[in-house]
Amino acid sequence: MFYLRYLRSELLRRRARTALTVAGLALGVALVITISGLSRGLDRAQKTALDPLSGIGTDLTVTRGVQTDSTGFGGGPGGGGFRDLIQSNQSVLTDLSKLGNPGEHFVHDFFLPGTQLTFPASQGASVKSLPGVAAVSEGLLLIAEHQEGTVPKIVAQFKQAAKTFRIRRRITPLTAAEQQSIQACLAKHGVTFGAPPQQGQGGGGFSRGRGRRFDRGAFQQCLPARLRTFITTFRTPQQTLKQVLDPPQTDIKTTPYTIGGVDETQPDIGLVTRKQVTSGTYFTTGGHEALLATSYAAKQKLGVGSKLDLNGKTFTVMGLVSPPLGGQTADVYLPLQQLQSLAHQKNAANVILVRADNGSSVGKVQSEIKQRLGGAQVATAKDVADRVTGSLVDAASLSHNLGLVLEIVVAAAAFLIAVLLTLSSVGKRVRELGTLKAIGWTQRLVVRQVVGESLAQGVLGGVLGIGLGVVAAVAIGAFGPTLTASSSTGSSLLGAAAVRTARETLSLHAPLTVAIILLGLVLAIAGGLIAGAAGGLRAARLRPAEALRRVE
Amino acid sequence: MSEGETLFDLRGVSRSYRRGDTVVHAVDAVDLTIGAGEFVALEGPSGSGKTTLLQLLGTLDRPDAGEIFFEGRPLHTLGDGALAELRLNAFGFVFQQFNLIQTLTALENVEAALAPHGLRGESLRIRAHNLLDEVGLAPRETHLPVHLSGGEQQRVAIARALANEPRVILADEPTGNLDSKTGLDVVELLAGLGERHGTTIVVATHDATLAARAPRRVAMRDGSIADAVPV
Repeated sequence: MFYLRYLRSELLRRRARTALTVAGLALGVALVITISGLSRGLDRAQKTALDPLSGIGTDLTVTRGVQTDSTGFGGGPGGGGFRDLIQSNQSVLTDLSKLGNPGEHFVHDFFLPGTQLTFPASQGASVKSLPGVAAVSEGLLLIAEHQEGTVPKIVAQFKQAAKTFRIRRRITPLTAAEQQSIQACLAKHGVTFGAPPQQGQGGGGFSRGRGRRFDRGAFQQCLPARLRTFITTFRTPQQTLKQVLDPPQTDIKTTPYTIGGVDETQPDIGLVTRKQVTSGTYFTTGGHEALLATSYAAKQKLGVGSKLDLNGKTFTVMGLVSPPLGGQTADVYLPLQQLQSLAHQKNAANVILVRADNGSSVGKVQSEIKQRLGGAQVATAKDVADRVTGSLVDAASLSHNLGLVLEIVVAAAAFLIAVLLTLSSVGKRVRELGTLKAIGWTQRLVVRQVVGESLAQGVLGGVLGIGLGVVAAVAIGAFGPTLTASSSTGSSLLGAAAVRTARETLSLHAPLTVAIILLGLVLAIAGGLIAGAAGGLRAARLRPAEALRRVE
Repeated sequence: MSEGETLFDLRGVSRSYRRGDTVVHAVDAVDLTIGAGEFVALEGPSGSGKTTLLQLLGTLDRPDAGEIFFEGRPLHTLGDGALAELRLNAFGFVFQQFNLIQTLTALENVEAALAPHGLRGESLRIRAHNLLDEVGLAPRETHLPVHLSGGEQQRVAIARALANEPRVILADEPTGNLDSKTGLDVVELLAGLGERHGTTIVVATHDATLAARAPRRVAMRDGSIADAVPV
């Protein structure tokens, strides 16, 4: 067909112009496809990392934070105040004397709740009894300090000899009655009292009876009771004292991690659930079993079947888990009772996970828990999600805010490029188009020809753009940046060690769909049509005489 | 329409342009009649209005004032579609710059004038080939314009003008870009074709030799007909 040969000739014999137009459209389409793919990839990553509690069926998370006004549930001495905070974290002060003899190697794990204070596990039952609550699971989430090193010389011993102490005390003079009583008593024991001493003969007082020695025992018996007490002699035994030396020199290495105690009897709600097991199995017996977060396992080069030694107890890694970011996550999970025992936190928990009957009752349940447990911090899934930060959140937010705008801008730019190039091209062909009108081509035929050429360029640009977009998406998947999302729980009241930070790193991908690819093609074709129509109409509206006067 | 009958009838036709602040009266109140089968030369210096008058005759432009009748039809009242149809079926144009489509071969340039008539495939190609053969350019039909000489390009343009078997060929300075010998050849070709096909030929030229070849010469000055002398 002549018109198609004409079209082909135009495209092939004006290669530079065709290549420029096609490249402009292709670039626009590739950018739209890439941005759409990136946006989709970010959405997916966000859904994976930032849907914090949806994966564990939890609607509300109840914790007990530090209350500066000294009120709060939990029954601690300070009602959740700073005194409780310090008391709960006493074990962070390492008593080196208990680790072994000086010079010995030691390995020990210390557990402390940080600012997420513990409370009696019975509080869980209290929450479960509230209306609207479908399920409750308790957990104990602790900051762990793995310490390893040599026990330093930390005490000195001192032997202290026995000592005798005599207490003397000025006593109140005897009353007349007491004197008489004493005299009578002594007389009874054969002690006589002489006349008052004469001058130069010494003092009067007690005198020995005739030929009889002074009887000390009798004397003491005859004293009134109030005077007997103060004539006491006591003796301290020999003893050994230990004294803590000034900061001892140590080579102790401390490795922090987080550990969670899970109510393994409820595998569908808890700090980790059966669904979150990525390899291996969930807890089977509640015995010496452990689950590890996949990231922690990779970092520590541990896997299913590995052994964990925690203060002399050996735990077998049953499985690896990937709990969603933002929740109450840990590196190591043990059955709740096992951790309570290890951490000397018998019957204690510091997080209650609550599932409401239905989504609409979450708010009401939240209020009731706050009312029931004064000072409780009750977070909804959204609250938890809002805690998540990091480059993934920034990128997702950027994508959310700018993604669509960027796509529109890029598409508009591609359109504009195509229209401008076509208009420029048509501008240079006005005389040619005028000639066509002179030899009898109708306006419709002229427009059709120009639009056909632009359409062909649009298709070419679209196909090329799709190819470039796919290559870009594959390249992003292969070499693209990694994004991190992190979520911190606890506060920094005790310093950094009191804050648990969970971090998830995701590789950014730009997944493409048929819809995205079709979108790119449609945009390119639409760009070609619009550009061609604009250019063709502009040229075709000129009177032939005017077009023929134009100099190319 | 038989020879001798009035083909064009122009009554008080004017056309002016605005060039900056100046209004140029390119054609000013022209009255003219051209009979079927005539070979008419519109002669005059540059700017005398002959090209504008030729474009008004060929419906490439519309008059500001006056009336133009072609075979009794008032061209000044027809719409763009009707004028395009008239150009397609009744007129053939030859331009000074040849106005060939540079991306098409000689054959395809002729086909461009045939395609709107609905010709397709082999019949289209054969018809275009025959036209090129008639102007002596069949051996060069696959060449692009850029590979043809000026005379050859003008022959292609003439073949294209003949494609629709026009009743009128309007040629604007057809020898303007040709040397004298080639120009003379082109003139002879046009005249011969006109005689063979009974086609009316109107040529705008300032070339006295070409004008002298025309049986009827119409002299133009400043947009008006200064003299119309049958030779």
